[in-house]
Amino acid sequence: MTRTSSAGPRAAATAPAGSAPDGPTARRTLLHGLPWLVWRRHRTVLRILLLTTAVGCAAFAYERAGLTDFLHTHGAGPAVHGTLGTDFSNAYGGLFRSGTQLMTSLPVLLGVFLGAPLIAAEQEHGTVKLIGTQSVSRGRWIAATLGLPLAVAVLCTALLSAVFTWLWTPARLLVMDGDWLTSGIFESTGPIPVARTLFLTVCGIALGMLVKRAVPAMAGTFVLALVTSVLWSEQLRDRLGSLRGVSYPYDGNGPDLPPGAVRMDDWVSTAGGRLYGYGTCTTGDTGACRAKLGIVNRVTQYVDYGQMAGMQWLGAGILLALTVLVLACVVWRAHRRPL
Amino acid sequence: MSDPSPWAIEAEGLGKKYRGGWALRDCSFRLPAGHICALVGPNGAGKSTFLGTATRLVQPTTGTLKLFGVPVSDPAVLERIAFLAQDKPLYPRFTVAETLRLGRELNPRWDQALAERIVRSGNVPFTARIGTLSGGQRTRVAFALAFGKRPELLLLDEPMSDLDPLARHELSGLLMAEAAEHGTTVLMSSHMLSEMEVMCDYLLVLAEGRLRMAGQTEELIPAHLLVTGVAEGDDGVPEELRRRHTVIEARITGRQFSALIRPGGPVPDGWETLAPSMEEVLLGYLRSPDAPGLIADEARLDGPGKAAA
Repeated sequence: MTRTSSAGPRAAATAPAGSAPDGPTARRTLLHGLPWLVWRRHRTVLRILLLTTAVGCAAFAYERAGLTDFLHTHGAGPAVHGTLGTDFSNAYGGLFRSGTQLMTSLPVLLGVFLGAPLIAAEQEHGTVKLIGTQSVSRGRWIAATLGLPLAVAVLCTALLSAVFTWLWTPARLLVMDGDWLTSGIFESTGPIPVARTLFLTVCGIALGMLVKRAVPAMAGTFVLALVTSVLWSEQLRDRLGSLRGVSYPYDGNGPDLPPGAVRMDDWVSTAGGRLYGYGTCTTGDTGACRAKLGIVNRVTQYVDYGQMAGMQWLGAGILLALTVLVLACVVWRAHRRPL
Repeated sequence: MSDPSPWAIEAEGLGKKYRGGWALRDCSFRLPAGHICALVGPNGAGKSTFLGTATRLVQPTTGTLKLFGVPVSDPAVLERIAFLAQDKPLYPRFTVAETLRLGRELNPRWDQALAERIVRSGNVPFTARIGTLSGGQRTRVAFALAFGKRPELLLLDEPMSDLDPLARHELSGLLMAEAAEHGTTVLMSSHMLSEMEVMCDYLLVLAEGRLRMAGQTEELIPAHLLVTGVAEGDDGVPEELRRRHTVIEARITGRQFSALIRPGGPVPDGWETLAPSMEEVLLGYLRSPDAPGLIADEARLDGPGKAAA
């Protein structure tokens, strides 16, 4: 390995043809054929991904032991009175913040660094021609090129998501003050990280295939990830579950939400259930105004914790359906058109 | 493989239309196995398109192409051919050893010893990354990858174009030696006409997407004559010359004309005749795309085929 190139010719010239001291060492490896090639091409990204997964899972598992102790001694919430909320936030707030950051940014990073260059770099360097003329059909090449990275990405995000969900579930009433919908927990647990990873990686692959340049494809994938994440949180996420409402007297105490519920909206309403905006009759002669409209109740709309799994699977289903669509286009194009 | 077709390439009505028009049109010929064949033509003549159709990188719009009797639409032809694209694409981050491993992993007929020998004879270190190699070393590794595949047909797209004269000489020698040793049929496109003359014994000439000439050099080149004489007539070329022979190209210098012809009979004593070199014939055809083409009987699809088989 340390031989310089100037020493190379002499050493090679004197070496008998068979013994090959500088010949390629036939190391025994797990992977062969196309999977080996795909692994070799993307080994840096895939190794970082595997390492991140291992470290992340270990860290989450380690923290869970302490967390269980904490919940045992302090109670699992909800933190309505006392210092439980502050104590928990001091002890584990950072962990859950960085955890959700990792789980929400990992799909974007995979889309940008694994998906976008996957085929674009081959087109850019012309190596599509090299592989296209080896003794493997286009179909097998596409299957390996798409299959191996996507399988590793799915495996890693599924593992991380499972361990993070396992860490979060007992403390769910305390983490982010019990807000599981808008705080990033929704995108960090259950099937959502896997679905986002698949969606963004496949979008990156498709974009790279169209652009045929790795770096522009990576930039495009990043922008696409930002746009879809805004659309997701602004338009789609809240519609995944139907809102539930609880009404209570206008001047009474409330609302009495079930533990783990996320408060979405507040209204005022008539006895018949007709809703008015929360700001109705808050200026001037408020009493007369309310009497005129017949407002007697306040209504709070919320999503219940029990709806979370259903909402996540519905969201993941939508993302996976889009993924399948884009993937089908990629496979079709790779098969039919010269790259 | 049990039925070795005597024809390395059989093209029938092969054509490829891009948005800009036909890059290759109505191309019909066959190439007997075992030849070193030059694919000649000006830029944009359809050489790369033809090589693309033969390597499954380009889907022909019309016609069929068979390699050793196997249609190119069948992925099984990939085992029998090797292709060296003009820019010799290799993975720049792979080491030489890993590049050879790529060949070993993806080709069932891989000959590791042969590939290693080609690399070693150029003193290319196996641990070097492809991106750090010189143009000649890189081409050598690409050759090793191509020959290690043990192809029956080796397709090369301007293999020597980016090499210095020394590396060109060295790699031409390597190509000829390996092709001769394994009986590989070689089809290479090139602009280096003088080099082609030394290396090749078969010719395919393309111009404007059409086949202009096909056949063995020793049959095609002697079928031409360089004629010089006193200019006469409107454009300087004697009427008799046009009537009795096929004029490929004619030029007037002063009171003299010189023409490249395919003689249709004996040439009168008044004119001086010379046997042209391959380069002269090729240049004549390349300069005159409208001149009638010449396809040798052997290269015709309806030629004396079954006899050879």
